[in-house]
Amino acid sequence: MAESPVTPPRARATREAATDTAIRVRGLRKTYDVPERESGLRASARSLLRRQTKEVVAVSGISFDVAPGEVVGFLGPNGAGKTTTLKMLSGLLYPSAGEATVLGHIPWDREKAYLRQMTLVMGQRNQLVWDIPVADSYELNRAIYRIPEIEYQQTLTELIDLLDLETLLTKPVRNLSLGERMKCELAGALLHRPSVLFLDEPTLGLDVTAQRRIRTFIAEYAARHNATVLLTSHYMADVEALAERVLVIHQGALLFDGALGALVARFSPHKTLTIDLEYPVLDLDRFGEVVAIDDCHAILRVPKTQAAAITARLLAELPIVDLSVTDPPVDEVIDTVFSSGASGADPDQLSEIETALEPISV
Amino acid sequence: MTYLRLLWIHLRLGILNELQYRTNLVLQLIQSAVGLVTALLGLGIVFSKTDTLGGWLPAEMLAIVGVYTLVSGLTQLVVRPSLQRFMEDIRLGTLDFTLTKPVDAQALVSMRQIEVWKLVDVVVGLVVLGVAVTQLGASIGATEALAFVVALLAGATIIYSFLLILATCAFWWVRLDNILNIFQSMYEAGRWPIGIYPPWLRYVLTFLVPVGFAITVPTEGLVGRLTSPTLVGAIALAIALPLIARAFWKFGVRHYSGASA
Repeated sequence: MAESPVTPPRARATREAATDTAIRVRGLRKTYDVPERESGLRASARSLLRRQTKEVVAVSGISFDVAPGEVVGFLGPNGAGKTTTLKMLSGLLYPSAGEATVLGHIPWDREKAYLRQMTLVMGQRNQLVWDIPVADSYELNRAIYRIPEIEYQQTLTELIDLLDLETLLTKPVRNLSLGERMKCELAGALLHRPSVLFLDEPTLGLDVTAQRRIRTFIAEYAARHNATVLLTSHYMADVEALAERVLVIHQGALLFDGALGALVARFSPHKTLTIDLEYPVLDLDRFGEVVAIDDCHAILRVPKTQAAAITARLLAELPIVDLSVTDPPVDEVIDTVFSSGASGADPDQLSEIETALEPISV
Repeated sequence: MTYLRLLWIHLRLGILNELQYRTNLVLQLIQSAVGLVTALLGLGIVFSKTDTLGGWLPAEMLAIVGVYTLVSGLTQLVVRPSLQRFMEDIRLGTLDFTLTKPVDAQALVSMRQIEVWKLVDVVVGLVVLGVAVTQLGASIGATEALAFVVALLAGATIIYSFLLILATCAFWWVRLDNILNIFQSMYEAGRWPIGIYPPWLRYVLTFLVPVGFAITVPTEGLVGRLTSPTLVGAIALAIALPLIARAFWKFGVRHYSGASA
């Protein structure tokens, strides 16, 4: 808890005009008191009388800005604090410290003017009524958001068009497939044309085609309505396709804030060399780690700092037909970041992560 | 206006939903009939032994049965199923969707689920009440009718506030689904005028579980037994309890926002 002076969350927050930033987060922190008890009957009985609680830090003072119309991917392993952050920004949770404004509103004040402009979609939870046709659930949202008839029809037509909902609207939700249901959930959450979207795992459990569909739709919606999107996902493909910018959060702290490409450049200590040879060569491992080899085709992994030198040697010493130098796949990089951050096993990697923290902590 | 519209849409959805399962109507008809017959048989047995019960005449007792059925139907039509669903929403985490809507969350959770067939109880209650009123005849004047309506509204407000307070506890204790069922059992004590119970139980049924205010007091108004202190007390409670329930609800939401994961 070595935090800067604890100020009540709402006391200092400034209500600036939401022109240059849609989402502004400063030192946002959230801790939970979780009951702690040992296993066993006796311990359980004791904890009935006196509850031992332990403070768990879910989000430990993160800061970032999101510009209007920006689509930002929120990456992190389970329990990293993504959902907690999203819940604070959508007004469901009070932070333990720090401040945030979204469209100039303090989210946890839950002003109607704010709630009317945002939406929250959670991949693992449904808000559509299970037993009734989708269209009837939409009617309910229309009344809740007091959407004028003409505007409602326009939006609905647009959403039907973009998501191919035509045949789904008359079916009860329980008769829809998971992918269809998610499409309907998304459309329902967007009927009031929100300008800020918080999407928590919107493609969870969907097949590849459905995932792509949802993805294209989110991009399309954001572009059309200049909407700001903060999106979490386990699927790298989602983030790669949608977000120019990613926030990497791990154990409640922000590890990285920047372009996806920069993330790879910063965190991956390796480059991938793909070579085609005139004839098979056996002792390739003297150049670097051989990831795959198939007759005349080989993939090598080499330290980033030596990539240029090794490339030169390869060209000089081997019968090279073709050669390319690439960054490793993003999810591989992310994986490295998380596993090293969690275990702390690799001191080099850790120091790299710490330097990465410098420019973004406020 | 918005809230009336919302209530109307929920009612519509409730009807649409229930029309899919018509057997529910049959079951509800049977349940209402059994409830009514049991109550009438009970009265029959009592009045075969005596002419009055705690000072209540047969026609007056019939009025109690009517009010009991009416209030029961009204609470089970909207309030109880809605609050039951609210507790379910807390457990499933879907309350998040309610709390991110730009309408009053308390209002929304109080009308989210409507069990249309409970209207049968409302109708049965009104019919029984009508019969009782005809039997009581000329003794009911404008004053009695007014006292009845005011006391009934006050009673309904009290019961709603009380149920909301019970349900709000689910913010702390998630597995609380049975608490409303316990209330239902207590409510059944309201079939009889609370005056016939021993003083301690009368006290419980008035202040701890305010069934007395919802059933006995309005009926007293109807049959001209209501004293003004009781009526004033009922009105005072109908003003105070919603405020308390509202404050407790806000406290609960605040707690939910502070702790839920």
